[in-house]
Amino acid sequence: MKYLAIVGTNSEVSTNRMLLQFMQKHFSPEAEIEVYEIKELPAFMEPEDSEVPEKVAELSDKILKADGVIIATPEYDHAIPAVLKSALEWISYTSQALTDKPVLIVGASHGTLGSSRAQAHLRQILDSPELAARIMPSSEFLLGKSQSAFDSSGNLIYPDKVSELDEIFREFVLFTDITSKLLKEKVLNKKVKKYTWQEQEDKLQ
Amino acid sequence: MKFIAIVGTNAKQSYNRKLLQFMKKHFESKAEIELLEITEVPMFNQSDNQSYGEVIQRINDKIIACDGVIMATPEYNHSIPSGLKSLIEWLSFDLHPLAGKPVMIVGASLGTQGSSRAQLHLRQILDAPGVEANVMPGYEFLLGRANTAFDDAGNLNNEGTVDFLEICFLRFLRFAKIANQLNEEEEFSFKPGEYDVNAIGHSGNLPMKVSFSEKRIESIKIDTKGETEGIADVVFVRIPDKILEGQTLNVDALSGASETSNGVIDGVAKAVKLAGVNPDILKRRPKPASSRIREDEEYTCDVVVVGGGGAGLSAAATVLQNGCSAIVLEKYPAVGGNTIRSGGPVNAADPKWQMGFEENPGERHTIEALLSTDEREIHSEYLEDFRALKEEFAAYQNKFGAQKGHLFDSPLLHRIQTYFGGKRTDLNGSTIYGQYDLVKILTDRALESVNWLEEIGVEYDKSIVFAPVGALWRRGHKPVKSYGTAFILALTKYVEEHAGKIITDSPAKEFIIEKGEIKGVIATGVNGQKITIHAKAVVLASGGFGANTKMLKEYNTYWSHIDDDIRTTNSYAMTGDGIQLGKTVGAALTGMGFTQMMPVADPETGELFSGLQVPPENFVIVNREGKRFINEFSGRDVLTKAAIDQGGLFYLIADDEIKKTAANTSQEKIDHQVEAGTLFRADTLEELAVKAGMDPASLKATVEKYNSYVDQGFDPEFHKDTFSLKVEKAPFYATPRKPAVHHTMGGLKIDTNACVLDENGQPIKNLYAAGEVAGGIHAGNRLGGNALTDIFTFGRIAGKTAVDNIK
Repeated sequence: MKYLAIVGTNSEVSTNRMLLQFMQKHFSPEAEIEVYEIKELPAFMEPEDSEVPEKVAELSDKILKADGVIIATPEYDHAIPAVLKSALEWISYTSQALTDKPVLIVGASHGTLGSSRAQAHLRQILDSPELAARIMPSSEFLLGKSQSAFDSSGNLIYPDKVSELDEIFREFVLFTDITSKLLKEKVLNKKVKKYTWQEQEDKLQ
Repeated sequence: MKFIAIVGTNAKQSYNRKLLQFMKKHFESKAEIELLEITEVPMFNQSDNQSYGEVIQRINDKIIACDGVIMATPEYNHSIPSGLKSLIEWLSFDLHPLAGKPVMIVGASLGTQGSSRAQLHLRQILDAPGVEANVMPGYEFLLGRANTAFDDAGNLNNEGTVDFLEICFLRFLRFAKIANQLNEEEEFSFKPGEYDVNAIGHSGNLPMKVSFSEKRIESIKIDTKGETEGIADVVFVRIPDKILEGQTLNVDALSGASETSNGVIDGVAKAVKLAGVNPDILKRRPKPASSRIREDEEYTCDVVVVGGGGAGLSAAATVLQNGCSAIVLEKYPAVGGNTIRSGGPVNAADPKWQMGFEENPGERHTIEALLSTDEREIHSEYLEDFRALKEEFAAYQNKFGAQKGHLFDSPLLHRIQTYFGGKRTDLNGSTIYGQYDLVKILTDRALESVNWLEEIGVEYDKSIVFAPVGALWRRGHKPVKSYGTAFILALTKYVEEHAGKIITDSPAKEFIIEKGEIKGVIATGVNGQKITIHAKAVVLASGGFGANTKMLKEYNTYWSHIDDDIRTTNSYAMTGDGIQLGKTVGAALTGMGFTQMMPVADPETGELFSGLQVPPENFVIVNREGKRFINEFSGRDVLTKAAIDQGGLFYLIADDEIKKTAANTSQEKIDHQVEAGTLFRADTLEELAVKAGMDPASLKATVEKYNSYVDQGFDPEFHKDTFSLKVEKAPFYATPRKPAVHHTMGGLKIDTNACVLDENGQPIKNLYAAGEVAGGIHAGNRLGGNALTDIFTFGRIAGKTAVDNIK
């Protein structure tokens, strides 16, 4: 399996990044995981022309080529960071590359809650028609107290969390497999529709 | 009423903007509404704080000044747009203008939902800690099919919609009025008097006395006995000052001492509660005026020194002595660095003074052992000095023969001991030793440094010659005032009295480079402002990286293992900043893999001066079984390796007589530590053993044997050869110890003029370095007492070279 793991923050120091780096190493026998940074994506703004920024095209391309996507989100003000939301807005506005893509959500936080509310928001966002990702159901991975969760070589030091992650990841691989089989059956009659939120749809009508 | 209406999207055309424009016009007679666009708001990034940039500041000021905020949000992917989220993130990071602010949410969408899901998300987001807006409940205004909702003049074309918007808005007028009353400070009065409280500090309880008049906190007194001297002292002055200045508990913790800072703030909060007032009232007050100054600052001087420890202050004092101007930048709230944490004695051979002291038993033997080293093991640069030392010592032996002589010493002995002390081989088999030209300067100019400090104002206790732990010899000049504080106080006073400027709380971030040359530094000030210092030369004296575990592990080639939670005896400021800065201009590094552990640190805090620290000729080291395992005079790394082999923890045993030789403590401190359980005391050795968890019989047998070795002046077990006091007079003491990071020997490569060198060995123009930030001198292991010699000697040299090159 080949997964794209998106670091949901632009912060230089991030335990969500560490979590994905750990997953990359830990699951290397089972899957090839590429850790992807979104900090260089421009802030979303509906472009005047149909020009797609280079970084956005790169991200879309990587998503399309991956068998699935893992998103690690911190929680800012009970929700996902603006920078992650911006990346998702770009995807939905341009390539819609996440459509039908199997997605696993994980998250880490310094407190005890492990980004639970941000993850719930992210599920709702990914479920919107413009994104329409295939989110793995009932698979919350919440890593609380993340600042003390990794040793200096980047290993997750809580054994119960490691086994929880092992279980979730094993399921995600299965889920990826089943989803892609399902999708082969799906009749490909989807109307190609350009989503806009304000301006262009108005013109189309 | 005045409201700010935030257009929740950066899209060029937006029905949400249209809706707000309509509201502005329609409700003109009821309230003033100002539209605010988010287009210029940068993407939130906690690693690139733009809270104080023009855009965020403008929005922050407008929100603070208004009576309420209206937010119009579209719905992107079932949630609010990233642009709006980014703004809210900025407004909940360093700034919190939305806290308690009445907020009305509206939204428009092309579909039928009218941004319903985005509005729910927005409510949750605005309720988050850090945002804490006061959102009007109910009255959801959702404008669906927005593309058909407006007429050509921009008015809502449906009467029912307009009616409902009016109902919502009138409700918001009333809500805002009442919600803003919540933001007015509650009436309160303190029950006047003095209240005793206990706050939790870095090293335990902080007893405090806080006194109140009816309307004010009048004074805050803190009992500081339990805390480390140095930075904590600043906390105990600065935090109470800020609280009293602003009559507020909204006070920022000091960097590097957040735990103690918060301890003080919490302590005052407890007292406020005892005085009958809800501390939350004072927490909601604005920060004191002095914490809100954010003007950028710009200075020009001849030499800017990065780091306000002993090396930096010596460099600055030298610059001032030579008629140039100097600014010292210190990242912590107080100067002192690691120097203030040092024990005090400076190593410098001063034979005329040392002649006034008798030799101790075994000292000649130490030199004989040193001089019996096979010459093939000595690097050629040092060979001539080694032979000269042999002659010096032979003359001493001839003079005294079997009679008791005076204490022998010379710069040559200091040099050879520094060389042998620093010669080490790492795990990769690379051998390192002190660079001859630097070690020669260190040892030849040591006494000059001691005397220079005396001129500056340091007073020495000449009645005693000290051998700090790991010093190998008694050549320590100990100041009268305790610890390294003596040097820092004298140097600071000198610098300030001679028009030098010291800027604290301001880490240097980068060099100013003009036409390829270093022309000063840029620092960040205490309130986040930019501090630009134009200078003709920069001296890096920012210390080592003992408090940067990541860097320690990255470069380590010496220890088989460095724990992630390793303690350090250093100030937490020692994070290798100067080394990183040097790297940005191509400075070469040397000896980075070698670090020194202090074997005798507190097992919990890494602190050095708790317990009873006595000269090695007096202390007895035992392991957890109560047995000796090492020659107490061993070098630090030998002690550390042995301690690690014993499981880390060991004990220093002393008696009531030995206690008197402890340079670090007082009866009051001892009593305090015994009470706190960090030091054990008992009337018999057996009881002492029980308290420290050792076998009583073993400890007793060990001490009896040790005492017999003192009598015979010979230790057949571990070959200790210098003895003074026996362990015999009750009460007895056991001080628990464990190795902690103490000194990082590697650093920037410098030459004998303290010029920083690049990879090609060429000096980097206008850049100098002194002290622990530089490498090459102590090599694989630093002798106790040599760090002070290093910083004062090379600090002076750096200052002098900088001035010479300017002139």
